[in-house]
This record gives sequence, C-alpha cells and structure tokens, in this order.
Amino acid sequence: MAQNINPHYASSSNPAKQNEDTIKLNDNHAVSKRLQKELMELMRCSDKGISAFPESENLFKWIGTIHGPEDTVYAGHKYKLSLEFPNSYPYAPPVVKFVTPCFHPNVDTCGLICLDILKDKWTALYDIRTVLISIQSLLGEPNTLSPLNQQASYLWPNQPAYKKYLDEFYNKNKDS
Amino acid sequence: MAKKGELEACWSKINYAFPILNGTIFTECTNEEYEDIQEIVINLGIQIKIRDLVIIHIEKYVRQNIVPSFWAKFVKSDVEVKGFQLFKTAINDLYDSVTNFEPMLRKLSLLNSNCSDNMPIFGERDIILGFKQLLRATLLAQIPLEFQYIIYFFYKVSFNVFDNEYENSDMGEDVMCSGCWNDYSDCNCAYIVKVFHDTNRKLMELQLLERLAGQVLTNFIQMRIESHIQKLCTGTFDVSHIAFLENWLDTTVMSWLTRIYCGGSSKPPPDDKNVQNAISKFKQKLSYYLYHSYTKLRIDQLFNIIIEYPDSQPAVDDIKLCLDKTDLRPTLCKNLQTALETRLLHPGVNTSEILTAYVSTIRTLRHLDPSGVILETVTKPVRNYLRNREDTVRSVVSSLTEDGVGSELAEELAKFAADGEDDLEKEDLWDEWNPDPVDADPKANSSDRKASDIISMLVNVYGSKELFVNEYRTLLADRLLGQTVINTEKEITYLELLKLRFGESQLHFCEVMLKDVYDSKRINALIHQDNSFGDSHIMCNGMILSAQFWPPFKDESLELPDVIKQLLERYTKCFEALKGNRTLNWIPHLGNVNIEIEIGQKKLDLTVSPFNATLIMHFQDKPEWSLEELHQVMKVPITILRRKITYWQSMGLISEKSADYYVLVDGNDANRSNVATSQVQEMICEDEESESVMASAHDQREGELQVFWSYIVGMLTNLDSLPLDRIHQMLKMFASQAPGTECSIQELRQFLDTKVRTHQLVLQGSMYKLPKT
Amino acid sequence: MQQAMKVTVKSWTGVATWRWIANDDNCGICRMPFDSCCPDCKLPGDDCPLVWGACSHCFHIHCIVKWLHSQPQQQCPMCRQDWKFNNK
Repeated sequence: MAQNINPHYASSSNPAKQNEDTIKLNDNHAVSKRLQKELMELMRCSDKGISAFPESENLFKWIGTIHGPEDTVYAGHKYKLSLEFPNSYPYAPPVVKFVTPCFHPNVDTCGLICLDILKDKWTALYDIRTVLISIQSLLGEPNTLSPLNQQASYLWPNQPAYKKYLDEFYNKNKDS
Repeated sequence: MAKKGELEACWSKINYAFPILNGTIFTECTNEEYEDIQEIVINLGIQIKIRDLVIIHIEKYVRQNIVPSFWAKFVKSDVEVKGFQLFKTAINDLYDSVTNFEPMLRKLSLLNSNCSDNMPIFGERDIILGFKQLLRATLLAQIPLEFQYIIYFFYKVSFNVFDNEYENSDMGEDVMCSGCWNDYSDCNCAYIVKVFHDTNRKLMELQLLERLAGQVLTNFIQMRIESHIQKLCTGTFDVSHIAFLENWLDTTVMSWLTRIYCGGSSKPPPDDKNVQNAISKFKQKLSYYLYHSYTKLRIDQLFNIIIEYPDSQPAVDDIKLCLDKTDLRPTLCKNLQTALETRLLHPGVNTSEILTAYVSTIRTLRHLDPSGVILETVTKPVRNYLRNREDTVRSVVSSLTEDGVGSELAEELAKFAADGEDDLEKEDLWDEWNPDPVDADPKANSSDRKASDIISMLVNVYGSKELFVNEYRTLLADRLLGQTVINTEKEITYLELLKLRFGESQLHFCEVMLKDVYDSKRINALIHQDNSFGDSHIMCNGMILSAQFWPPFKDESLELPDVIKQLLERYTKCFEALKGNRTLNWIPHLGNVNIEIEIGQKKLDLTVSPFNATLIMHFQDKPEWSLEELHQVMKVPITILRRKITYWQSMGLISEKSADYYVLVDGNDANRSNVATSQVQEMICEDEESESVMASAHDQREGELQVFWSYIVGMLTNLDSLPLDRIHQMLKMFASQAPGTECSIQELRQFLDTKVRTHQLVLQGSMYKLPKT
Repeated sequence: MQQAMKVTVKSWTGVATWRWIANDDNCGICRMPFDSCCPDCKLPGDDCPLVWGACSHCFHIHCIVKWLHSQPQQQCPMCRQDWKFNNK
C-alpha cells in the first residue's frame, strides 16, 4: 500500500477500524496505563528537541513539540503537533498531525504527515517518543518520491532556495 | 376664735390621739374618744394640717427610731447562733412595730377620710400597706454594706436543720444532731424550725423576704443544688440523671420554697397569687440553675465521658438535652478543646492513644451534635497535631487491621462494609431536616460534615487516600515478612474490607503480596518433595515475592555463610526447574532463622534474623573476631555490625574483650548469665527487626518534587502557559501514578514560586510559562 | 577453658524475588515490566506468562496474542520476522 493515504481515512476505516472491532476493547484502562507509562518515561528522560504532554485531562489527546534537527534547513524551528490515540493503541498507530504549519515534502497543508511507521509499518513497539523522533528526522530526510507537498518536493534539491522559502513560511505561520 | 387655753386643751387631745406627735407610739385613746377628738379637729378645720403633721412625724419616727434600731442589729459576728438570734430579733421588732403602729394608723386613716383631698397615704389607699411601703423604703434607704452577714447565718443555721428534717430522714447513730449540732438530748431543731418559719412568714408579710433574704436564700438553694448534683454525678456516666434531677427539683426543692414562702405550710395559699407567682418565678430561676450546674459539671467531665463512650451515652444524652436549655455550647467547645489539648496533644501520649481518643470523640460528638459543627470545631487541633506526627498513618493503618488496641477502628471498617450504601435511606429523611447551628462555618458544606465517616475523617487527617494505602502496603509487607506464622486468612479478610473502603485498584498490590505468601507455601511444599533438592538437615523455606508489587526494600548487604548460600542456590535450581524461565534473587538480610545453640549446659532455641544467625555461626567456627574480620566475611558495614552485635551481647553469648574485638563467652559464664530461656523467647520478638525493613513513605517521598518538575516542564513545553490550578489538576491526573506523589495546591504554589525566583519559570498574570530559551 | 559452642540451624526462611529470565526488563508492547503483568491481568507470573518467538524476542503472552490478532500478517513487532512461538 502506498504511504500516501489520508490519515483521516485511515483512522476511520481499515485497518485501524478493523482493529478496533477485532480486539476486545472492554476497557480503555490498558491503553491509559500504557500512555501513563509513556508519559512517565518521557518526563524522566527528556530527549533533546522532542517533547509531548496530554492536551487536557484526556489522556488520549496529546500535544507534541519537536525542534528542527540541527544541520538541516529546519534547525531553529519549533513545530507543534497533535497526537490522537485510538482505543486500540498500541495495536494501532496514533493519528499525528502538524499544528504549526510545516512546509515539507511529506506534510500537506492540513498538517497531515506521510510516514510509513504511522501506517502499515506501525508496530506496538513504537511509542510517542519514537514517533516524534521519526518525524523529527523526517524533517531533514524527506521522502521526495511520494510527496504530499509537490512544491516542497521540487524545491528540496535546491537547499539554499528551500531554506529561504522555508524560513519565510515558518516566520509567517509559526504563531498561527 | 377659741381661747388660748381651749386651744391647748385641743392640742393635748390631739396629742392623746396621735402620740407620735410627742415621739411615742402608745396611747390609751379608745375609738370613742378618738371620734370626739376628730370632731374637734374637723370643727377647727385643721384636719389636713393635723394629718400631714402626723404623717411627717411617723416618717420621722420610722427614719430615726425603727430603722436605725433595726439595722443596728446587723453587726458582723463570727458566731452563727448569735447571728441567728440577731436576725430573728430584728425581724420580730420590725414586725412588732407595724402591729404597734396599727391603732394610730387606723385613726390617721379615719382622719384622712374626713379630709377634702382624701389623698393616699404613703402612696397606698390601704394605710397598712402604705406604712409597710414606708418601712421598706426607709429600710432600704439606710441599708448598711454588710447587712447580709446575719441573714447568712440565720439561713445557714436554719437550712441545716431544715435540710436535715426534709432530706435525711434516717439520721444514723450519731450522738450529735446533724441539724443543730447539739446533742440529741437538747436538740434545738424544733425551735429553729419554728423561728425559721416564723421569720419567713413575717418577712413575707412585710414583703421583705425577697429583698432582704432573696440573695442569701438563692445562694443557699443553689449551693444545695450544686452539692446535690456533685454527690449524684461523680464518676459514673452510664446513668441519665436529668429526669431524676428534675423530679428532685419539683419535689424536694419546691417543698423548701413553699415552706419558706408560706411560713412552714407545705401548700401555698390557693388565693394568694403573690406567693404563687413568687414561688413559680423562683422555681424558674432554680430550674435554669439546675440545668446550668448539671451541664457545667458534665462539660468538665466530658473528656472522661468521651473516653468511656459508648458506655457513657446516658451522660451524653443528658448534655444533649441540656444544651438546648442553656447557653453552654460555646463553653463546651472551649472546655473540651482545652481538655483534648492538655490531656492528649503532647509528646507523652502514644499516637495510638490519641487516635483512640479521637475516634471516641468523633463518635460521642456525632451523637451529641448530629450537625457535626461541634466536632469540626473541637477536633481541629487534634487533626493538626496528628498531621505532624510521623507515625500517624502507620498507627491508623495498624489499628484498622489489628484486633488489639485499635479494634474500634477495625469494627468501624467492618461496619462500613456492612452498611454499604445507605444514601437512599437518607433521602427519605428530608422531613427531619434541621438547619445548621449558628456556630457552623457557613463556608463548609453541611452534608460533608455529616456524611464523612470515622475512617475518612482519619484518612483526611493525613490528606490522601494514596498515602494511606501506601502505608498500609508497607505495614503489610513488614507483617508478612516479620512473622514466622502468617495468618493469611485474616489478612485477606482485612484486605477485602479495605478494598470495599478504598477501592479495588488501590489495593491490588496488596492482593498480589498476599498471593505471593500463599504461593510460597505451595512452592516450598513442591520443592521439599523434589529429590534433587537434596537431603539437608536444615529445613529451607523461601518467601518468593513479586518484586514489582512489594514496596521497595531497604538496601542492606549481608554475606551469608557458605552452607546457607549453597542451600539457597539449590533452592533456586529447584525453583527454576519448577517455574520455567524464571529465577530467584535472594535478599539475604530478610527472613528468619530458627537456631539451636548449645553452650556449656545451656541450650537455647531461638528465632533470629539472618544477620544474627550468620554472626553466631561465624563465632561457632572461630571464637574470637575483630569487627574488621567480621566486616570482611559478612560484608556488613562496621557501624552496623557494632550496633547489631549487641543482640548477642545482651544474650550473654558474646562479649567485647577489647575495643571492637569480640569473643565468645565461656560456657560456664554463659550458664551464669541470668538470661533465662523464657526471657530469651520473649526477647526474640524484639529482635532488632522491629524496625521496618521497608523504605518509609517519607523516604520514598524524597525527590518527588523533582519528578513534578519534569512533568511541569513537559506540560509547559507543549501547552505554553497554564494557571496554577490547571497545573495542579494535570499533575494530579498524570503525575500521581507513582504511589504517594501528592501535592497540595499550596505546596505546588510554593514550589512554583521558588522556580520563578530562580528564573526557571515566568509568571505572567496568573499564568506560568517557561522562559524563552 | 573455652568451651565449644554448637549452633544448629533448624530452619532457614529466606526471602527472594522471582524474575523472568529475559533479555529485557519491559514488555515492548504494553511497556509494563515483565515481572509485573500485562494491563489486562491482575496477577503476575503463572497467570500472565511470557512467551518467546523463534526470533528470540519475548512478550507477555496476552500482549503478543493481541498484537497478532490485530495484524494481517503474523510478524514479530520487534523484528518483523514471521512470528513462531518458541516452546523452549
């Protein structure tokens, strides 16, 4: 299956939907427990440049923050993301979107991300931390073969021009 | 115009009729004679003048003769009987003067009726009443400072007799009459009673009883009431006295009053409204006094009443009734609070005792004041105090689960389980609703006050359920590891009760702990059957714990003797064979060892800690050890060795030969050591392991705020800025995973403020955020 | 004269914690320690055992079964090799 599927679509039908049906989800308790654990882990050893925390009392909705990786055109940028966890988590992946608009070949204008580990390459061993790290590294290493943002994909090989456009875009949108 | 001689004759006739004009009272003038004299006066047209003149002279006489001679008898005297006599005489004289004046007063009244103005004399239509009025007014105008002395003596003497007559019919076999303190042979009681009633009657007639003797009488009766209550109510709280006291007031005290007011008669004159009113007013006063005195006494005893509750419930019922009739509620609160503070809240009282008293207070005051307001007010200092005691949670938890001292709490726990949810019942009681008392804190919710049960009141002392449950877990761990014989069934029963109270999830860890104990028995049995375990003369048991579910253990090192290490290794091998893919980590310093020591003639059978067993086993191999050598073989720090070796020293088996050098005591010396085996057996219970092997809740709390900080940084990184209450809420939601991590909003504010001061946080308006990097 | 002392150990009750012999501390799927149980269980050990795959990765049995059920292909979530239970 191609990487470029709409996460909305993905989350509301197969395979995630299927998961929710097939797995007995008698309680959210197990999911909460795992998310609590992840939170504790994240708080204990804070990685450089990534962070996340539940948005409100609802443990199934988080806000994440990633800093653009050093030595890439994204260095110095800070992006907010939203993470939503299905009841079948970790057997199904979370839905992750950029909240801060992000000019990137694999991110569309709505913030949707095209990343294999959020789709068919998902495994229960991934977690918020690994997802955020993957997205962080995706910033510096886009997959230009299956772009969601054609313009960014075209511009990517010309790094100085890309950087110029990116900075303008970022400064214009960072507070929106 | 009459002649001068005629006038003089007239004047002497007038003086004959009204001798007062000459300064005397007595005259032989008959009514017939008087009529003639009055005729003359009327003919002369001087009736008004004569009347006024007579009045002036009467007033003067009263002022200058009667009243001064009356008050002259009121002298300070030390002799009671003299005072008695003086008062009697004073009243008699006063009374007689009215009688003596009467004929003249009648004439004056007649004269007045012939005056054109016919004005009331001495302010009254009835001249006798008027005269009494005059007497009273004049008396009171000249009242001396110390007038009460002889009145006091008079009533003291008479009351004693009176009391004796009406109260104690059985006089016993005293030689002396307990009424008048004379020998029975010349008992004066009858006389005294007669004088008493006589005097009272006269005072009543003069309407002076209340004014002159009222205060003294009231004092005496109040003293009687007081002493009666004291006699009746000391020490015992298991009987209600109020009905009895009310009855006593209605009969005994009322009969005194009636007799005093009615000159000895036991019934008030049916037509004399004055007397009836006076008596009923007096009774109201006394009745209030009775309730007041009784309540005050009970309030003074309240602490003891509380300690004896529920046996003392009758006394509590009495107080409850009386509080409505008196204004002693504030007094009760203040006194009880003081009593609790002075008797409970100091370092000399064990926490368990404070708790027992606290529970008793809760129960008593619940009964006394269902609104819960008194309870809340009075026990506040107790709660504050308990909060500062380190062992409070431990004591509460242990009393919740132990039969002995704190069985009340255990009962309470069981009761809670039995009661279940009675909320529905409460709905039906809407028509019994009462508003809160006026001293209630309007900010507090009244249903909270009423609804919270004793256990939650205790839990709330410390703040959080989690901390409480955590402490229970530590205690349970200590108990399970410390006892050689574990009553698993009992522990399970308590756990079930606690689960009902605190919820299943909170106590899940404890459930696993108990299951570990249970499983260990099975594993031991299986391993003992295993041939590969080998035939050892040492019975080896394991207590196999699920580490994740037990509280953290104190870290202690101990190198066990080789023979034991091999034994445990064999046990591990068997375990591994039994439970695939699983192995064991031994915690060498935990557990218990049953050893037999033979030294000289003496044989000791002891259960000791692995440390003590290891130590004595080394001394078996070699009778002399320096601490340094022991440290080498046992891998235990020297300071701990030095402290713990005292166990064997106290047993008389090891002695310190020179500094830090220990030797086995000679067998014969050991025999002489006066530690009897029975004593030893008791001592093993006090083997040093009475201290917890678990890291305490306080230890675990160390560094907790640091955990909070990483959460706070995490939330502010992603959510930008948050107000205090949101941060608190988030922490409660997400950071309270680790047991015991709780933090009040005030504590959090302080913590955040220090972070603001050190520029790790920025406070903008009411929002906290991270400083820009 | 020093008289010998004889110490006889009649019984020794030791305390030990048990643990799974695994190459990791936590189950990768539920993140709970192996020595604890999966989120759906209450009791560790026999009631919530570990299983090993042919690839030598191990999980709580309930976790891996749940994972395999949720996936179209039966792969180890760790190494993506086909999952086979290793009954060692």
